Amino acid sequence: MPIEFKKNRAIFRDEVSVEEAEGLLEWLQTKPTAKADLSVLSHLHTANLQVLMAAKTGISSWPRNAELRAWLEPALKPGK
Amino acid sequence: MTSTSSPMNPLLVQFLSESRDLLESTGNKLMQLEDAPEDPQIINELFRFVHTLKGNSGLFTFPEMTTLLHAGEDLLGMVRSGHVVYSRELADSLLEAMDFVGVLCGDIESSEHIDASRAKDSLHMAKALRALIPSLTANGDATQAAGANAPTSKVADALASSADDQASGLLPFGIIPEAVRMAAIVQCQHGEQLHWIVYRPQRGCFFNGDDPLNSAMLAPGLLWGRIILLEALPSLGGLDTYSCLLGFELLTSGPREELDQYYRYLLDQVEISAITPQWLMNGQSQVSSTAKRVEPLSESDQSALDQILASQRQILLLEDRPAWHAGRLKSVAGVLANLCQAIGDNLGPTDIQVALDDALSTGHNTLLLAWIDVLVHNMSDTRQTGLPDSSEGIVSEQAENSPALESGSGKALAEDGVKFGRRAEDALNGSKSLRVDQAKVDRLMNLIGELVVSKNALPYLAERADSQFGVRELSREIKGQYSIINRIADEMQDAIMQVRMMAVSFIFQRFPRLVRDISRKLGKEVQLVLEGEQTEADKNIIESLADPLIHIVRNSLDHGLETPEVRIAAGKPAIGKLTIRAAQQADRVVIEIIDDGKGIDPAVIKQKAYEKGIIDEATLERIGDQEAINLIFAAGLSTAAVVSDLSGRGVGMDVVRSAVEKINGTVVLSSELGKGTTICISLPLSMAVTQVMVIESDHQLFGVPMDHVVETVRVPKSAIHKIKQSQTAVLRGRIVPLKSLNALLGIAAIPQANSDDELAVLLVHAGSTTLGLLVDGFQETIGVIQKPLNGFLSKLSAYSGSALMGDGSVLMILNIREIV
Repeated sequence: MPIEFKKNRAIFRDEVSVEEAEGLLEWLQTKPTAKADLSVLSHLHTANLQVLMAAKTGISSWPRNAELRAWLEPALKPGK
Repeated sequence: MTSTSSPMNPLLVQFLSESRDLLESTGNKLMQLEDAPEDPQIINELFRFVHTLKGNSGLFTFPEMTTLLHAGEDLLGMVRSGHVVYSRELADSLLEAMDFVGVLCGDIESSEHIDASRAKDSLHMAKALRALIPSLTANGDATQAAGANAPTSKVADALASSADDQASGLLPFGIIPEAVRMAAIVQCQHGEQLHWIVYRPQRGCFFNGDDPLNSAMLAPGLLWGRIILLEALPSLGGLDTYSCLLGFELLTSGPREELDQYYRYLLDQVEISAITPQWLMNGQSQVSSTAKRVEPLSESDQSALDQILASQRQILLLEDRPAWHAGRLKSVAGVLANLCQAIGDNLGPTDIQVALDDALSTGHNTLLLAWIDVLVHNMSDTRQTGLPDSSEGIVSEQAENSPALESGSGKALAEDGVKFGRRAEDALNGSKSLRVDQAKVDRLMNLIGELVVSKNALPYLAERADSQFGVRELSREIKGQYSIINRIADEMQDAIMQVRMMAVSFIFQRFPRLVRDISRKLGKEVQLVLEGEQTEADKNIIESLADPLIHIVRNSLDHGLETPEVRIAAGKPAIGKLTIRAAQQADRVVIEIIDDGKGIDPAVIKQKAYEKGIIDEATLERIGDQEAINLIFAAGLSTAAVVSDLSGRGVGMDVVRSAVEKINGTVVLSSELGKGTTICISLPLSMAVTQVMVIESDHQLFGVPMDHVVETVRVPKSAIHKIKQSQTAVLRGRIVPLKSLNALLGIAAIPQANSDDELAVLLVHAGSTTLGLLVDGFQETIGVIQKPLNGFLSKLSAYSGSALMGDGSVLMILNIREIV
């Protein structure tokens, strides 16, 4: 599974495709306080990004992939 | 790939020729519509043409063409449904669009691809077409309307805080991180052209398999980019995961062509603008300030400024770091700030302050040095133009090229029309191939056939002139003329045959797909090898070959080749090999289908054939293996234990044989158990002219197709033996049954022997047997145009047709298979 749903934390792995977006949305609706762990993420499909942005999900760790982080951080940082 | 070195993909050739036809028809229909603008039938046809064109273009990667045709289709769809009223402007723009598609076809023909530079024109025209659709133009913004659900860029949202900047066409330059911005400015000044890209994906783009974030991240030469919201995101409950609400802003150093190429599928969703260093430096700030700065700097001021800048640069380049280094930097910054004010740049000092802070904290002077470069650049601009117009910092391509975008009006379209119209004329050289109704070619062929036959009357005439009227001179002249006509007629015949020739690749090209699909279905792994695709044969032959070939290939895949496990167990490579090979041998085309499968067990075939009553017990004992496996072509024999939807219903191979025989072909199967099977189909190159041997029997002439003739021999009566009722003779060590042609045709006469008491025997094969026909005499072999028998005569199965001889008499062609 590209997204592993833990108790209150979603771990994103490798490439997360458009198919995951629906599931992510449903999960976040039930767990509004959940955090996302993006450390081992290599690519995130736009649809998932959109869900994370809409849910204002907190990020527990940013991607190790610096390029991806540079893109995601401004969009997902709280307060922005 | 160039069209000169390798032949063009036949599918593409067909596409081009069809497209040309469709474009022409579209043009004609548009013309007709001028006279009858309300005619729903014409509109329907128009719609259909454009729809077909679009569909066809989608088979290849020509997004430029597809995009434009799609717009045309949409517009015509609106016309058809009555939402848009036909107007002359509409027809004009559609005609231009079609002309442009024609130009694109020309591009494809010459280089097999569309140059990326066409994309902009195509997009532009597509937008012009869409601008004619009222419900969308009502939005007032054609650019946005092109996106499926016009996203608006002015939505107040947290991320795109600089919406105003966007609206005014200026860079929210404060958003780009300082380091990136400065690096970009330096890059700009080294002569590199940077581009600012605003990418607004269509809402439904996920359904097209687009991943906008990915497309943005992989943009060529990307320096920096960010995600913007095209619309405020709804709360989670109201969010549609499959509707894209995000957009992107990118700063890249990629060359324009590369960007166009990269975004060729998304051209209606991206705006690419070339940017200048000034724009990167201070964006809007100079708009207000430049207004004051109309006077050019005087020569002396200019040189003073140059000197000041040069000395500041030297200071910055000093390597030592004395205690007063910070003060030195501050003084440089102060000088620069004053300079800025002197030339009327009010916001410059603020930026210089930023650069100074950076230099003080990091100890690197790069940003300050960059500022000096900027100022030098500005100076030189001032010098050249006398009027530094940095408000033009963003050079909008769209504003430059597409008046239609803003206005969407007929006038703007008309201007473009001139441009594209001219282009279409330039490329008027058109296609070199001609599509002709086959009936016309057939008629021409028949006429040439008649000519070939009737010219044969001339030698008879020459003969008569000499023998009957005694004018030898005339006879010789007729013969001379005859030889000329003969040569021309032969060449004509050859030429018309060439017209009808087609390469076997026409059928072969569908095999890779077929083999892939079937083998996938059967769980087999097959490597398909096609050879001799360029071999040519008559169109009719090629066409009638398609079905039998498909049948054979299916059979080979289904029954012949084994599954990988079985193959490995048998010590063969796991991947089976199926070879389809075409070659020309003399006046025949030979097609071989070779598989390295399990082969055919003659014993099994024999048993099956016996069980199904195809052969009797005596035959079962007698026939050899080779004959046995050819029983597979007998009607009603199926060897597959399980009937599948692919093959195994026992209707396959006999259908193959009869189809091949119908076009005067033969099919032979050879197989080695465990090693594989080879099916060899031999076909005439052309069906138009049949070579027949003329034989004489009971003072009548008959033709026997040369395909059936093995040899002609004369056998002494004494060498003919009678075994029970049948006559036989031993020829070349073989016993050959002899039959009298007269008896077979029901003529009450016995074969005439010649003066040496020898009988003329024509050895023929009929299917797999060879036999001798007793005739009275042989004549020459001639080429005839065989005509089928009509009316009542068609029931005479003994004859396959008739032909006209040179002297006007009718020659009946025997159907050897039927009479023996």
